[in-house]
Amino acid sequence: MALIVGTGALGLVAVARNFDSLGLAAPLVAAVAGCYIAVNIFLRRVAPHADPLVLPLAAILNVMGLAAVYRLDPDQYGPTQVIWTVVGVTCFVTVLMVVRDYTLLSRFKYLLGFAGVGLLMIPATPLGTEINGAQLWIKVGAFSFQPGEIAKLCLVIFLAAYLAERKELLAIASSRLAGFHVPDLKHFGPLLVMWGISLAVMFYEKDLGSSLLFFSIFLVMLYIATARLVYVAFGLLLFFAGAFVGYSVFSHVRVRVITWLDVFDPRYIQDEGYQLAQSLFALATGGLFGTGLGQGRPDIIPAAETDFIFSVLGEELGLMGTAAILICFMLLVARGLRIAMNARTDFGQLLAAGLTAIFGIQAIIILAGVTRLLPLTGITLPFMSYGGSSLVSNFILIALLVRISHQTADAPAPAETSEILIGGRG
Amino acid sequence: MPDLVLDLLKYVFLILLYIFVARAVRAVFLEMRPATAQNRAPVSRSPARTAPPPRGSRKAPRKAAVVEGEGLRGKSFSLNDELTIGRAEKNTLVLNDSYVSQFHARISPRGEAFVVEDMGSTNGTYLNKRRLTAPAELQRGDRVKIGKTVLEMRK
Repeated sequence: MALIVGTGALGLVAVARNFDSLGLAAPLVAAVAGCYIAVNIFLRRVAPHADPLVLPLAAILNVMGLAAVYRLDPDQYGPTQVIWTVVGVTCFVTVLMVVRDYTLLSRFKYLLGFAGVGLLMIPATPLGTEINGAQLWIKVGAFSFQPGEIAKLCLVIFLAAYLAERKELLAIASSRLAGFHVPDLKHFGPLLVMWGISLAVMFYEKDLGSSLLFFSIFLVMLYIATARLVYVAFGLLLFFAGAFVGYSVFSHVRVRVITWLDVFDPRYIQDEGYQLAQSLFALATGGLFGTGLGQGRPDIIPAAETDFIFSVLGEELGLMGTAAILICFMLLVARGLRIAMNARTDFGQLLAAGLTAIFGIQAIIILAGVTRLLPLTGITLPFMSYGGSSLVSNFILIALLVRISHQTADAPAPAETSEILIGGRG
Repeated sequence: MPDLVLDLLKYVFLILLYIFVARAVRAVFLEMRPATAQNRAPVSRSPARTAPPPRGSRKAPRKAAVVEGEGLRGKSFSLNDELTIGRAEKNTLVLNDSYVSQFHARISPRGEAFVVEDMGSTNGTYLNKRRLTAPAELQRGDRVKIGKTVLEMRK
């Protein structure tokens, strides 16, 4: 474990070496390393049976992100991000302390559901501020905060509790539609409302990435709860309808698609497509081993420290570095799904799966965006991008996962009640 | 700083990064292996923790032998007719065990095969460590656990 932290710290040092500001970087490195060592010891104490890989994986991603952010802007963003990391780790500890029993969360499901919707809506009110064409932030004093990040967690908890309670009902096919067994329409109702609200808010706030993210999480959880493809098919239909409307109504959606299809078109490359083109150039410059941390020129990419953090690392660490990052993401998602599979309650399973979905889908959307696999939608790369709200909410997310996994392993095994599979024995 | 040093540092960093990844992947594999090892190891040590019989042994059993349980160990019962198991005197196999219900379980012929069935017992009937929820066909090597008694299906 200590080695892991060491690796991460070394990442920062490697950056620092390339600057002259080694003296300035040292306390930051020490702060982060100390923070992780402390939280590791804490975790051993409080949740010794928790999944041992979740925190280290998150830590390495976070530290790599920190290194990249620091490298881009050692004066302002770097130190701020370190502070946010400390805040995030503190939240991790707090959540782990407060949420002793995750099943209790399901009691507050409606409260959390409303809180989630409320948080989503706040930026749309006069309290919100528009930054970079998306109205997602609220300003409290000098800090701007993205309530949507926390809203995600609230909504997943709500959905998990709601679906756990109702999964049998939702899975029953009670009516027929065009030759398919389709669950009763009324069971779609509350969920559709939920989806509609989130989506409307998202469109109003002009944040396509989150809109897509919410909808995907919703579908994933619904499918896990019911194991019925009808919902997925129905959801995809809704998605394409939404996408089409978005494309025809909003000009900024159209721009995204155009630049995606034809990023090197001379008409766009200097403005609309500039960011994406620079990202691709950065990745290409990186080659196999990269230019070395601090030696590339990733600062050319606009918003490099948030959405395009992956391209920065791609340029400076090359394919090897990015592949390692992807493996870490994959492992983290795999652990999350494993925690979901092992969880003893329906609520726990759905919650772990939903939380993992937030994390995994978000990573896919933005990674596919910066590599031009999908149209670009600006959301943060979990744990790596610059951004306090995102970091904090991701730390809370893994705290919940760790809690679930600890509780799964800790509880005495119940009497053997697993169902027998007669079909398998011929 | 000379470029050479920076280059070296770059590779050192990448190597460290991959050492971390390798350790994480190894941890995942190590966790998967004990799961299979645990299933197999106890076969030789304690008979009660038998793994499911190997696939392909589809032959129907002829006898049920008591491999665990007080007083009856070593005895075996022919399966030609219906074998009823429970605490009541009327059963073919009477088990004096407070965890066993009056009429606990039944093994009866069905065609060529034999089927074990729970008769609504309080504490359940286990086939190879799994609680029965429906009648299940028996194969040689299967273990049926009722209360403290374990029956093994033999030829």
